Amino acid sequence: MVYTQRTPWTLVMGIIMVAYAYMVKSGMMEPLIKFLNTGRHAGEMQTLGFTFGALAILVGLWQMLAAPKEGQTDYYLSTVAGLIFIMLIAFVVKWGLDPLMGNWGRAAQPALGFNFASVMNLNYVVMGILAGIIIVNVFKVPGWAQNGVRLSRLGLKTGVILLGTLYSFAELAQLGKLSVVLIGIFVLGSVGLVLWIGARRKLPNSMTGVMSAGIGVCGVSASVAAAPVVQAKSIEIAYTIGTVLLFGVVCMFAFPIIGKALGMGYVQFGAWAGTGILNSAQVAGAALAFQPGGIETLKVAEIFNITRVLFLPIIVLWLALWYVKREVGAHQVDVAHVIVSKFPVFVLGFILMFLLSSTGIFAPARHYQGSYFDNSDKALIKKDRSGKETSNYLKDADVETLKKDADKVKRDDQKAALQRLIENKKVMTEDDDTTLRGIINAKAMSKEGTAVLNKAHRAVRHTAAKIAMFRDLIAWFFTFGLVGLGMQITVASIKQAGGQPLVIGSIVGVIKAVGSLIVVLLMVSETV
Amino acid sequence: MMHEDKFDRGSALTIFKSDRHEDLTALALALVIALLVYLFI
Repeated sequence: MVYTQRTPWTLVMGIIMVAYAYMVKSGMMEPLIKFLNTGRHAGEMQTLGFTFGALAILVGLWQMLAAPKEGQTDYYLSTVAGLIFIMLIAFVVKWGLDPLMGNWGRAAQPALGFNFASVMNLNYVVMGILAGIIIVNVFKVPGWAQNGVRLSRLGLKTGVILLGTLYSFAELAQLGKLSVVLIGIFVLGSVGLVLWIGARRKLPNSMTGVMSAGIGVCGVSASVAAAPVVQAKSIEIAYTIGTVLLFGVVCMFAFPIIGKALGMGYVQFGAWAGTGILNSAQVAGAALAFQPGGIETLKVAEIFNITRVLFLPIIVLWLALWYVKREVGAHQVDVAHVIVSKFPVFVLGFILMFLLSSTGIFAPARHYQGSYFDNSDKALIKKDRSGKETSNYLKDADVETLKKDADKVKRDDQKAALQRLIENKKVMTEDDDTTLRGIINAKAMSKEGTAVLNKAHRAVRHTAAKIAMFRDLIAWFFTFGLVGLGMQITVASIKQAGGQPLVIGSIVGVIKAVGSLIVVLLMVSETV
Repeated sequence: MMHEDKFDRGSALTIFKSDRHEDLTALALALVIALLVYLFI
């Protein structure tokens, strides 16, 4: 079978990509970039545009001019057309639709009372899947692109392995025992519950497996990480992500209302939101909705949320063992042999990256997703190429601005942190940094005072360039994989699947939310 | 879903002949990327 199809489209897509990258480089796209506020992506627009564009032009010319024969060259090079097709859609979604929805969401906020793009989670991940679904159901995937669409799972697996670089053991050490215990009980408990209900309702193991990760750990990443382990179908992943996001949006509105009605404190609410809400984005949303004037709730909720994500490798290992046992019948075969032969190696890759990141080779050991605190002179005083020094210590005028606003700060801990900042002209500790951000969020100071606090915060918070690069790459691998995943979901297959995932997701989600609420109210005081 | 019979290698979901093959390719790709990031960023 010859896979390469003679088509001009690969060449055309390549020319479009190179032309777009050139227009960004020459500044012709400046008005659009300004309108969409995508200036931070200008670098990758050029790099990716030129790279993938050049590849598409070369392969496109080969497709037009050569007469491919059956074999390895034909098989693997024929995937390039589909890869470029998915990347072109990903470019449109990430650099166009995502920021456009953001603009519309903000513009409609005064009229609607809420930001629909943020509330409905209309980010590039969700829109990438939707774009794939629309293309396959409305327009059909072109024949020349079909072989490349089969690369999407490879993209997802590579993204999951690289995801391991964003976490480190150092984070784990910072977390309270309570969050580990509470999250451990509820993550493992809800995974176990979904597996049990799935078995009782006779759902396919692949569906139950991916659902348990999505409901137990957190939405998209967990579902994607667990999917290959349990050999989940595209539609099963889509159902899980849909259920988790839908439930998460409901929780984001309901949790703050319930929390306030029950008179919960910041720590209690943060612990509850971080445990009970299924998706990371909505955990932050609920925490900020509960305490719009400060970040104490958000800080607690994020600690719990991070702990939950750190359980992902354990859950994936559990599901791998569970799936292998159920699929082959553990009593009939040598389980150890089956595990060795069938265990998904990419999970070990995720753990390998996690271990590598923990050694501090990609970022200082205390980093969280690449961000770390450093107030040393080395970090605050920079030299340019000519050797001229630039200091990020506060200037005398900045200090005067803070002194004028100092009496507006009422809380003792915030007063003390502010005093230390004024005396030393830099933020002295990571705790001080958090406390001072509380002043910013509460808008306690004048506009000028807040600007100085923001400046002091930026001076001591640094992002590790390597981790930032990993984060960008992971986002692209996921975008590529998810657009391709969407292209494998048809309306007919959705109808076949039925509404079981939503039923199970809702049952377990409600049990988790209510159970964690009771435990938090009984066990968590205002001082973790 | 795409039909299996469209492809005589791999399956409707992947171009690789087995999951292990796909996993190892993903691992190799990720390690190469990690090495490049470590060396050049």
